[in-house]
Amino acid sequence: MKKVSIFVALACLLVSCESTNYVPPVTSQMATPRKGQHVDLAMLREGRTLFVHRCIECHTLPVLWRYRTEDWPDIVDNMSHRASLKPAEREAIIAYILAVRFAEH
Amino acid sequence: MRYTAQADAKKKQLTGSSPPNRADSLRGQMKSTLRVGIFVAAILSALPSFGGARHFTFLYEANTSAPGSLELENWVTWRHATGPGRFDQVDFRHELEYGVTERFQASIYLADWFYETDPEHSGSTYSDTAIELIYNLTNPVVDPLGLSIYGELRAGDRLIELESKLIGQKNFGPLILAYNATLESVWEGSDLAEREGEFSQALGASYEISPRISAGIELLHEFVFPEWRDTEKIRNFFVGPNVSYRHRNWFVTITALAQATDTQDEPDFQVRTIFGMGL
Repeated sequence: MKKVSIFVALACLLVSCESTNYVPPVTSQMATPRKGQHVDLAMLREGRTLFVHRCIECHTLPVLWRYRTEDWPDIVDNMSHRASLKPAEREAIIAYILAVRFAEH
Repeated sequence: MRYTAQADAKKKQLTGSSPPNRADSLRGQMKSTLRVGIFVAAILSALPSFGGARHFTFLYEANTSAPGSLELENWVTWRHATGPGRFDQVDFRHELEYGVTERFQASIYLADWFYETDPEHSGSTYSDTAIELIYNLTNPVVDPLGLSIYGELRAGDRLIELESKLIGQKNFGPLILAYNATLESVWEGSDLAEREGEFSQALGASYEISPRISAGIELLHEFVFPEWRDTEKIRNFFVGPNVSYRHRNWFVTITALAQATDTQDEPDFQVRTIFGMGL
């Protein structure tokens, strides 16, 4: 009985972690122009791919609302060297994160 | 598994069965390897970036290094055994890891060597040099399961070893679960006539306490087949905690494993530290 309880507790923990979507798929709504910024779906998809490949080399992915929207560009900038990100790749990741943030509001 | 090759090297050292010119040749080989290593490190140190941090030391993770990134990893593993065959052995590995493409990375173990002390002798011995390749198939965040395949070829003094591995990983937010299934084949001895096989599986969990610190647990289960036979029923099981710290372009990860079985020739505990630095 005790083992079953532990198993159920662990399963619930994993399900709750998994149910949080850390990297939502790109939707057409995310590509809506805002504040003169040009974002297209291809760029956002590229940003999402890079986000899930490069960032997990060092750490797990944070939920995107953990940090303020205006802080994200600096956060990505600070780690872009370690993640071997070229300027265009860095911009794609930032665009994806900001698009997710805007889409949520 | 590797202890057999190292034990063989030690035996040769103890009995003095190797002629002196063989020892000279071995020293020359080590010096050449070291020179090549220093040269390669000097040339490549001009390249920027970091290959990534490890959350485990006895397991591999499914993700591979970013293309163009280069990292130097130094491994130190202390093994301690008590009882009649007591020994202390410290294994060293110096590895260069390079991200070739988004999904493919290659590494070279410039030199694997060890220092060993027991009631009868102590000394250091060169073990081998190796090449390791990892190809990532699926991502541990967006796919149901992150998978990679791993191949390694190791060659040393009267030693050839092939190792293949299936690496599984799933990230659940700040929690990383990893599983490795490994198959090793070893040929050693004067005519490479001695054969041994090993299947091992390892399971690990690591929880990210903060972006810089992770802690977790690792389990290692080994099945050893001398001469590819299972007559001796050698099974080893190790379990213990790990902790990892990363900052800027370096990381350090430590795991301490204790033997939960009672195999005489295996260490009672082993502590492995990997220190990695982006070049």
